[in-house]
Amino acid sequence: MEPQGSHLALGTENIRKLLLQYAIPSVIAMTAASLYNIIDSIFIGQGVGALAISGLAITFPLMNLAAAFGSLVGVGASALMSLRLGQKDYDSANAILGNVLVLNLILGSLYSLVVLLFLDPILYFFGASHDTLPYAHDFMVIITLANPVTHMYFGLNALMRASGNPVRSMNATIISVIINIVLAPLFIFVFHWGIRGAALATVIAQTSMMLWQLLYFTDRKRYIHIRGETFRLQYRIVKDSMSIGLAPFLMNMTSSAIVIIINQSLIRHGGDLAVGAYGIINRIAALFVMIVLGLNQGMQPIAGYNYGARQYDRVTSVLKFTVFLASGVMTLGFLLCELFPHAVASVFTTNRELIDIAAHGLRIVMLVFPIVGFQMVASTFFQSIGMAGKAIFMSLTRQVLFLLPGLLIFPPLLGVKGVWISMPVADTLASIVAVYMLTVQYRKSILRQKINEAKV
Amino acid sequence: MERKYVITIGRQLGSGGRIIGEKLASKLGISFYDKELIQIASQESGLGREFFERADEKRPYSVFGGLFSLRGTIAEEPFSTYYLNNETLFKIQSDVIRRLAEKSSCLFVGRCADYVLSGHPFMLNVFITADLDDRVKRISEREKLTPAKARDYIEKADKKRAAYYNYFSSKPWGMADSYHLCINSSWLGLEATVESICSFASKRFGL
Repeated sequence: MEPQGSHLALGTENIRKLLLQYAIPSVIAMTAASLYNIIDSIFIGQGVGALAISGLAITFPLMNLAAAFGSLVGVGASALMSLRLGQKDYDSANAILGNVLVLNLILGSLYSLVVLLFLDPILYFFGASHDTLPYAHDFMVIITLANPVTHMYFGLNALMRASGNPVRSMNATIISVIINIVLAPLFIFVFHWGIRGAALATVIAQTSMMLWQLLYFTDRKRYIHIRGETFRLQYRIVKDSMSIGLAPFLMNMTSSAIVIIINQSLIRHGGDLAVGAYGIINRIAALFVMIVLGLNQGMQPIAGYNYGARQYDRVTSVLKFTVFLASGVMTLGFLLCELFPHAVASVFTTNRELIDIAAHGLRIVMLVFPIVGFQMVASTFFQSIGMAGKAIFMSLTRQVLFLLPGLLIFPPLLGVKGVWISMPVADTLASIVAVYMLTVQYRKSILRQKINEAKV
Repeated sequence: MERKYVITIGRQLGSGGRIIGEKLASKLGISFYDKELIQIASQESGLGREFFERADEKRPYSVFGGLFSLRGTIAEEPFSTYYLNNETLFKIQSDVIRRLAEKSSCLFVGRCADYVLSGHPFMLNVFITADLDDRVKRISEREKLTPAKARDYIEKADKKRAAYYNYFSSKPWGMADSYHLCINSSWLGLEATVESICSFASKRFGL
């Protein structure tokens, strides 16, 4: 919920102060989420072994897919929720809450059922080998069994934010990271449960946070609480929230498909350790990318409001400041990985060969990271001024239009190196497109501003 | 100190709803808001009026259109939404409606005002329909269209209004259940319709 009068602050307050104020909570949440993944990988790599890291990397697309189904319900439902709460229409808001829980339970269970029935064929298709399959299998069985809970957890968390309690939602994310950090080493190093221990730690962390959020929503004193009669699905709530969620769902599906192609290519040209190396590289790259996504979220309302209020100079300055911060974060990642790639990779594993492959890949993949920040900010910028078509186009150019052909052309010629090379190539091309589109847009707004000034 | 009351009018396109509202408001001596709301919302929020116009009584999304408007997020961006989305604009406009209703007695045409003000103790929600022939006649004159085109135009516009109302208010548009008084303006003609609504309102509000 926006507090009253916040519109004015967006239009008058100092841009840098505003950006930090809006961005810091989401940067924290994003960092916590990616640290969660990194820590999981570290415990698995150090405690279970190099092949376990490969097994884990095989499961990434399945996890993405689960997240995609989560966003199919969650994104739209939270949009509807804030709409209803903005009108103090608590009955409709409660109906949304009940429907979201039931929908997540149904979708989550269906997903679990299908995945569990075909788990091994799916994992082989995703790039598992006979050596890595047991790890991927053991990990996924536990994660998938708990998938309905995970879905409900993310759904409740999204509604928690929408219902005006972003702090509790952020706390849940952070607490679940802490539970995981405590339990995972206990299960892996003390109880010797292997990769199952890592999965179990994750599941326990999410289940307890789900219950914690459920506790909040069962409190009858709150405006928004769970009532039995709201569990009956309403056609309009289901339809509205799913129509809104369709775009993010498809975007998530796309990134999932890309990861499958990358893993398949790596297993063909480099074997299990190459897949594991990608698992490491992906986790490290994601850390910096997620921080930038957090900055982007902070930029959105500021750029959006000022664009709507025709204060184009403020739009430009928030864009510039976000690009500056994002480039700083990405450059930091770049320097770290170019200067100390072996040190970074050896955090995850003690296997010399895996460290070498990962370090080599890291250097190539992160090669143009300093300019990727710009590309990401530009893409979100278009979304925040209402040009979602352009935002989707830019996001697709990076993921599909440039990366996909690269993944088909380079690996047959250069092997594993070809997989790594296709990423900076795609990033570079996507950045050129971003510069072009932003320049055109900038000229247009300048023009529009001049016309407006002429009118006045 | 007399208490402040509100009349809201929902209407089919070409039913004469706006004219009836205007006449009713001037007869009762209360403020009248139709498109005027956009101007006020734009001034108060500092946002350009074209954004409100673009979102005005339009279907907020379609399943296919949703793909290209990306109202939600790309990948793992759980917090991000487009700031100038239709929901935000609707919220700004609703706040304006609520404040206006607090200030003085008034009459609103469209914009889900009945839903926005639900719970208001002195509110009359009216829905106005008319025979299709009358509506086609009115629209073909106003928009300079052939009757066939006018019919088509009416059908599309009503669909948009219904989608807008159903999405934002979570009540079905044009269903008797959602209103206190549903009236067909062809039955009595505009003047007499105004008279009837007026006497209906007077009884309830003790005017």
